[in-house]
Amino acid sequence: MTAHEARLCGLLLREHFGEVVEKIGTHLLRSGAQNLRTIVNESGTPIDLVKKSLCVLMKHGACIFSVGRKGPGSPVEYQASCERILGILRYPRYIYTAKTLYNDTGELIVEELLQRGHMTMSSIVKMVADRLTHNMEEGRSIEYKEVVSTFSKLVETHFLQRCPPVSEAVPAVSTAPTIPGAAAAPASTAPPTAESFPDCYTVPDVSLVGRGKRRRSGEDAVMDQGTTKKAKMDGQTHGDEGIYWQVNFERFHLHFRDQTIISAVASKLDQTSSEIVRTMLRMSEVTTTPSASCTQALSANEIFRSLPANYSISRPILDQYLSLLVDDPMEFVGKTGDSGGGMYVVNLHRALTNLARATLESVVQERFGSRSARIFRLLLRKRHLEQKQVEDFAMIPAKEAKDMLYTLLSENLVLLQEIPKTPDHAPSRTFYLYTVNQLSTARMLLQHCYKTVANLIDRRLFQTKESKRLLEKSQRIEAIMASLQASGAEPEQLTEVEEMISAPEKQQLESLRHHINKLDSAENQVDETIFLLKSYVNSTAKTTR
Amino acid sequence: MADVKVKKECDPADAALIENRIKELCQQFPQGITDQVIQNDMPHLEATQRAMVINKLLSLGQLDLLRNSSGLLYRMKDAQAASKMKGSDNQEKLVYQIIEDAGNKGIWTRDMRFKSNLPLTEVNKILKNLESKKLIKAVKSVAASKKKVYMLYNVQPDRSVTGGAWYSDQDFESEFVEVLNQQCFKFLQSKAEVARDSKQSPMIQRNSSFATSHEVWKYISELGISKVDLSMEDIETILNTLIYDGKVEMTIIAAKEGTVGSVDGQMKLFRGVNPVIQPTGLVKTPCGLCPVFDECHEGGEISPSRCIYMTEWLNF
Ligand code: SF4
Repeated sequence: MTAHEARLCGLLLREHFGEVVEKIGTHLLRSGAQNLRTIVNESGTPIDLVKKSLCVLMKHGACIFSVGRKGPGSPVEYQASCERILGILRYPRYIYTAKTLYNDTGELIVEELLQRGHMTMSSIVKMVADRLTHNMEEGRSIEYKEVVSTFSKLVETHFLQRCPPVSEAVPAVSTAPTIPGAAAAPASTAPPTAESFPDCYTVPDVSLVGRGKRRRSGEDAVMDQGTTKKAKMDGQTHGDEGIYWQVNFERFHLHFRDQTIISAVASKLDQTSSEIVRTMLRMSEVTTTPSASCTQALSANEIFRSLPANYSISRPILDQYLSLLVDDPMEFVGKTGDSGGGMYVVNLHRALTNLARATLESVVQERFGSRSARIFRLLLRKRHLEQKQVEDFAMIPAKEAKDMLYTLLSENLVLLQEIPKTPDHAPSRTFYLYTVNQLSTARMLLQHCYKTVANLIDRRLFQTKESKRLLEKSQRIEAIMASLQASGAEPEQLTEVEEMISAPEKQQLESLRHHINKLDSAENQVDETIFLLKSYVNSTAKTTR
Repeated sequence: MADVKVKKECDPADAALIENRIKELCQQFPQGITDQVIQNDMPHLEATQRAMVINKLLSLGQLDLLRNSSGLLYRMKDAQAASKMKGSDNQEKLVYQIIEDAGNKGIWTRDMRFKSNLPLTEVNKILKNLESKKLIKAVKSVAASKKKVYMLYNVQPDRSVTGGAWYSDQDFESEFVEVLNQQCFKFLQSKAEVARDSKQSPMIQRNSSFATSHEVWKYISELGISKVDLSMEDIETILNTLIYDGKVEMTIIAAKEGTVGSVDGQMKLFRGVNPVIQPTGLVKTPCGLCPVFDECHEGGEISPSRCIYMTEWLNF
């Protein structure tokens, strides 16, 4: 884990869980696996706070525990997961995806789960039903049944899964300590995945009847804490106690990956081609393992049958589209055989590689101009070139080309390789070759992304802090207005209160809101870059292993 | 046969042929040839045409006109070189020889020195001398701006020395290149658009969006934006820059021998393509483009809180 990742993790933890959790979380990230006593000592935090922080982290999957490395009986050790913490950045995207796939209900289910880490099905259903009802018109409400059906769909499509039972998790790891030293470390970093349990995607029978209840406004604060809720629920059982659910991030990521590929096809080729690729990806969703470098082969016949009904293209046209896709240099789709009218796969790894390359190119293009980007692409394509060759191929005058190459070199976007003709490495008898290493460049830009997001968050916190007084004032006034309205005050009275915020102040609030929104959406956009680069790096690691 | 020749009278290539023949004859008879000799050699040649060619050679100073007992005599001015070289010593002749051998690539003073075994000052003196007699000339090479190469006065410098169509006075015409780059792309793009709008089957659409390098070359030549004549390879070089710009793709197909624009039975096809992705999220933020990215730390001299790039971007 790098310094940039650590800083970003810290900021994310502070934003979501407060400063104490931030302190413990970053401490754990920096130190690696540690037992409770060491954490308390080294972080200088009271033990009960440490315990609570660990509990919060664990609930969100940001921290795992395992039996100590020193053998059975040694104290349990805790380890924070950087990747999971960085995942917090992606919460808005998970929620938004759930909304596009499964409407408001899906959105709320995922949102609640993300906020709380894990919950039982019955409590989610109730909570979501209540919230939906609250947003409906007076006198209407939603049935639990409907929420249950959306929930089941989310589970069916593997977007939600059961948390792995804890009692089984420990023995699975405790086999490791017999191997001393290094060998034990990877064992303890790989906790049992949820997928390894057979019931992972089975929805339990729950007896849930009723409808969502409308909250009365007075109850708001308390209900949000969820404490009264629990107290109330304790009275009745639904038959799913002890079965907790969590968001299956992996599955969401596969979905994001597919969407990225589909939209790239749409922009490079056309809508119909992207629809064909979407169909292919959908068909192989179940049959292809998450780490596969390409999907299961599909015959043109099968694809034709599975195309959405409203896409009325004839069979020969489909064949043409497929062969165009195969011909395209982005290599989204490959042909593996001729049976069944031709067997086709989606080249997941290739597509990611090519998209990551396009991303790197776009960074160079935007940052250093299109002619530097020309040089960069040239090097990506031709691998190794001397300066003179770069000038000739790119048709850029020697002086400018040199300038651009040196700039790119100093930013580590291109590399310079020396190949001496004689063992003395004399410069006059040495070839100097420029080259680009796509993987390491992607890794570097990934770090840039982490730093950028951290900068954006920093700036956002700063902006809010600057206007803290103003924000508090406007909140106070809003509260007063609300209570006045509730008590049926005179309109003059209301305007009087409203005018307590002056026009310039209003303007300031307005621009603050604008700034915060802009920073927020920029964070999400950078996360898309992070996602693509990360997927590419991971996928490359998998295929070369 | 004869009237074919007559018809081709104004063909410059033909004139060159005659010119060469006359020169050969002169060489054969170093003491000189009469008009009659030429007439005998090329009986079908019309008097006017003969006169034209001879006049040209005379004005170029390649032939000498002499008068003797038997009338007018033409003689190759080859002796001319010798006559010009008259008064020059062996060293000068040696240097001249070396330069002649270098052909249209020219030769550098340094190399001349090694080959002639003369001291640099001597070589320079001789070069000045020869230059003033207009026997040789100095040409600046595009490969190295300070490097001068020498070649015979009437030799056309090689492409590697002048840099070809992209150089004027050994300056790379980068604006010219960019203009051509844009024009080629416009051509391919409009072609792709027409193909898209044709609503044909996808395969036909794609195929009709392709243009051969010959087509592009023709389009550019007809546009008349270039002062110099561009070859098809020149245009392909430009098209290649478009490939590196990520705007164009190329396919090579087999072509029937003799098809326009095919080289060695192959034809290069180009077409404009859409980008796969929009600018990525990172570069939509000020930090993605920031020149002081590495110096930026919270609490430092340059920090996100006080960053002016951020302020500008937020207020945009
Ligand atoms: S915050 Fe400002 S100074 Fe820092 S990296 Fe971003 S743009 Fe550059």
